Amino acid sequence: MALNVKVGLFGPFDMLKFKNMAKTREKTIQAAPANEIVAEYAINRNAKALHPDFLPLVVENIIDHGNACAKTFVFKKADGGALPYFRAGQYLSLKLDLDGSKVSRPYSISSGPKDALEGRIAVSVRANPGGFAADRILSGLKVGDAVTASAPEGNFYYDELRDAKSVLALAGGSGITPFLSMARAIRDGIEDFSLTILFGSRMRETVLFADEFEKITASCPKVKVVHILSDEEAEGYEHGFITAELIRKYAPEGEYSIFLCGPEAMYRFVMPEIEKLGLPRRLVRREMLGVTKNVAAQPGYPADCAGKVFHGTVRQGAAEYAVDVRADEPILVAIERAGIKAPSRCRSGECGWCRSKLVSGEVYCPAENEGRRHSDKVNGYIHPCSTFALSDIVLEVPGEFY
Amino acid sequence: MANAKYDIVVVGAGNAGLSAALQSVLAGKKTLLIEQHNLPGGCATSFRRGRFEIEPSLHELCDLGPVDDPGDVRTIMDQYGVKVEWRRIDDCFRVIGKYSDGSPMDVTMPSGVKPFIEKMEEYVPGCRPQVTKLFDLFQEVLDGIAYITASSGHADSNVLKEKYPNMLRTGAYPTKKVFDALKLPQRAQDILATYWSYLGVDMEHLAFIHYAAMVHKYISRSAYIPTYTSHEISNAMVERFRELGGDVWYNCRAEKFLFDGDRCCGVQTNLGTIECDYALANINADILYGRMIPKELIPERQKKLSTARKQKYGARMITAYFCLDKTAEELGIKDYSIFLPGTADSATEYKNIMNGMATNDYSIFLCYNVANPKASPEGTCICSFTTFGSPADWNDLKPEEYVKFKTGVAKKFLASIKEKAGIDLSGHIEEVSVASPWTFSRYLGTPEGSVYGHETTDWDSMMARMMMLSADYPVKGLRPIGADGPRGDGYSASYICGQLIAKLALKDLAEGGTK
Repeated sequence: MALNVKVGLFGPFDMLKFKNMAKTREKTIQAAPANEIVAEYAINRNAKALHPDFLPLVVENIIDHGNACAKTFVFKKADGGALPYFRAGQYLSLKLDLDGSKVSRPYSISSGPKDALEGRIAVSVRANPGGFAADRILSGLKVGDAVTASAPEGNFYYDELRDAKSVLALAGGSGITPFLSMARAIRDGIEDFSLTILFGSRMRETVLFADEFEKITASCPKVKVVHILSDEEAEGYEHGFITAELIRKYAPEGEYSIFLCGPEAMYRFVMPEIEKLGLPRRLVRREMLGVTKNVAAQPGYPADCAGKVFHGTVRQGAAEYAVDVRADEPILVAIERAGIKAPSRCRSGECGWCRSKLVSGEVYCPAENEGRRHSDKVNGYIHPCSTFALSDIVLEVPGEFY
Repeated sequence: MANAKYDIVVVGAGNAGLSAALQSVLAGKKTLLIEQHNLPGGCATSFRRGRFEIEPSLHELCDLGPVDDPGDVRTIMDQYGVKVEWRRIDDCFRVIGKYSDGSPMDVTMPSGVKPFIEKMEEYVPGCRPQVTKLFDLFQEVLDGIAYITASSGHADSNVLKEKYPNMLRTGAYPTKKVFDALKLPQRAQDILATYWSYLGVDMEHLAFIHYAAMVHKYISRSAYIPTYTSHEISNAMVERFRELGGDVWYNCRAEKFLFDGDRCCGVQTNLGTIECDYALANINADILYGRMIPKELIPERQKKLSTARKQKYGARMITAYFCLDKTAEELGIKDYSIFLPGTADSATEYKNIMNGMATNDYSIFLCYNVANPKASPEGTCICSFTTFGSPADWNDLKPEEYVKFKTGVAKKFLASIKEKAGIDLSGHIEEVSVASPWTFSRYLGTPEGSVYGHETTDWDSMMARMMMLSADYPVKGLRPIGADGPRGDGYSASYICGQLIAKLALKDLAEGGTK
C-alpha cells in the first residue's frame, strides 16, 4: 500500500501549509520592527575578559630580591582596568622588543589570583647569565614602562577533578614562582588542597621568596616549605638534591600528586628520581621544560647539521621575509631576530600557539617537546618554538593581534 | 602590511568555510581562506593535554555513509578530493532514563533500518507497523529534500505534489505532531525522541522534516568519526585546498568588510587589507550585518529578520573531557554513546535546561575508544560528557566563580554516569578539561558561544529557509555561510551549506557579479 500520512484532517490543507512555509516566514519577518541588530553578548564579553587577545600592561612596581638575583615586576593594566582572573600556576608570555628582536618569554605568574581582581599581576624574573632576555629585562625594565603580555595561559594548575588532595611540589630556583601563586591562592581560600614544597636552592642567601613563604606558612597550615640547599649545609635545611628518598621522607600521607617546575638541569636529575617512586602517570605533572640548550645532544639529531646556518623564507599574510636560521636554535628565535611579530607563548612545544606550516625543508623536533596534533605531524605543521631547521626552509606563520 | 587581491575571500575556516573555500578553488577562483584562530575547523578541531589529543565537538557524523552508499558528506568530500581515515560506529545509541510513564528505560539501538525496527518491536511490542511507516516517510522526506536542495530554491510544486506528497503533508509540522498522527505508541516515541538534542530543539518544536533528514541518515547509513579527531578532517580539507592553489592565513581576523558603493570589495584584517570580488563569511548573520558592515548598508529586511529571530541562538554547549589511565574495557564501558536524559519529555527537558544547571539533568556520555581504538594511547581511553549551557548561568557568572562552576558541572556528570550506568571514572583521571559557552565563544566568536547558529523554529525552519534562498542574501558580493544558514546546524549541514552558498556566489560572479 502506498504511504499516506496525514497530520491534519485534510491532506491538501497540510500541503498548502507546506507550500506556504516561505510566505509565512516572509510575513513573520516583515511584521517585525527593523531594530538595530544586536551583535554584542554577555557571554562573549565574559569570555573576552577572561581570555583577551593580549594584555597591555604597565610596570607599577619592581621588587628587588637582592641576593636571590631576581626581581618581581608588578603590572597593572595600561588603562587601569580589571585584569583577567587566572588559575594559580599559569603564566604570562611577555612580548618584548630587545635589541631589534621581537621576542616573547613565558613567566609563571607569582602573584595570586586575588591580586588580579584588584588590578595587579606579577611575574618574577631571575638573572640568567649568558641568556638573552632575562638579564635585559632585569636591567632594562623600569617602573612606568609599557609591556604587552599574553593573557594568562597554561595548564600547570591544581584541578580537584584530577589531582590528589595533597600536592608535593618540587621546585628548583625560579621554578618556585607558580607555587608561590598556588600558596597565595590556598591562603586566600581560592584553592583547597595541601601543598608541600620541596624547594631546591644553592644557598640560604639565594633562596627566592623566603620571607613571602615564611609569612604564608605561618598563617596557613596547608602550605609547607622544605628547603634543600645544594651548595651549603645548614641547620633546618636539607642538603643535596631532590632525590626519591627525600620525596619519600616528605611525602604527604595517602595519595599525593607531584608537581614539578624548575630549570633544565633539575628536570634531568629529578625525573628519573620520580620514576623510582612508581607513581601512576596521572599523579605526576610537570611545568613545561622549555627547549634544550643543546639540541645536538638530543637522540636522533643528525650529526652533520651542527653549526650550520640555513636560509629561511618566512611568510605571514601577503608579506615575505628572508631570515637566517641557525641550526642550533629553535626556528622561532630566527623569526624573532628578523623582527617578525609571530605568535608564540609556551616556547616548549606544548601550547601550539606558534603552529606554522612548513612549506618545504627538513626539521628536527626533540621528542620531549613533541606537542603536535597527529594530523599536524602528518601534514607538515610544526611548532617553531621547539623545532630546529636541518635545511633551508619555507615557513608560513600565523598573524598576531597585539 | 602588504595588500592582497583575490577573487574570493572566505572569512572563517569553520566547516562551512572550508567547504566553500574548496568549492571556490575548484571552480578556478583565486581564493584566500582567513581564520581568526591559529587552527582550521572552528568546532572541528582538537586540543592536546599531556599525552592525549582530544576531540572537542564531534559526536558522530550522520551524513557520511559507507563507500557503496555515500551520504551527502562523503559525496562532497569525494568531489573535493579530501581523504580522511573514517571509522564506523556500530550502534546508534544507548539511552538510560525513564519512559513517559515513569518506568525505567535502558535501551540500546543498533544501526540499520531493519535491525532498528526489530529492536523497537522488542522494546515496544506491537509498534512495528507504525515504526515501519515512519521509516518509509523518512525516505520520502530525504528524497524530497534532495530534490529541493538541487533546485536551489526553485522547486516545481507539481513534481513535489506528485513525488513527495507525504513530505508536503508532514513537512510543515513539528515532529511530535507527526508521531501522533502515525499513532506511534508513547514508549516508541520516547525512544525515537533521543536524537532531538543533536538539533537542540524539543520534539514539540523540531520540524519533522529536519528530524527525519537527520535521524534516517544516522540509522540507515550508520554514523562515522575520523580516526584522529575532527582536526584530521579540517586539516585534510585545508591541505587539499592548498594543493589546489588556495592560500590560508591563520590568526587573521576580519574586522570590517569593505564596500565599493553597495558592493562588497574587500576585507580589513589584522594582516592588512584584502581586496576581493566576493566574500563568503562563515560568521553568524547578526554579527556579520550588525557589526562588520557599514551601518547605512545594513538591509532593512535583515534588521527585521534579526528582530524576528529575537537573538535566539542555537544550543550552547558544556562539555567535560576526561582522559583516563585505563581502557574502556577496564572501566566497564561498552557503548560509544549513552544518552542520559533527565526526563522523557523533551519540551520539559528543554525548559529545565534553559533554566540553568540547577535544573539541568541532561547529558550525553561518549567513549571515543569504543568506536576508535586509536583515540588515545595504549592502555587509556577518552570520555566526554555534553550538555547544553543556558545563558541564565553564563551571562552573569563572575570570573572568580568560573572554575568552581565548571567543576560542579563535571562532578554532576561523573555522578550521573556512576549512578545510571555503574561506570566510575574517579581515580583514573589523568587529564581533564571542561569547555563552557565561554570557551566556545572564545574560540568560535559566535553569539553566546552557540555552536548551532540561529535556532531553527516553527516559522524559521530548515525547509522555510531553503525555500527563501533568493531573498536571504541581500548584500552584493557578500554571503554568510555559517551555521544559521538554510540547512541548519551541525557538521554535515555546514559542509553542505558551505558548498551550496559558494555555488550561489560563483553563479553571481559568472553572471557578472550583478548580485
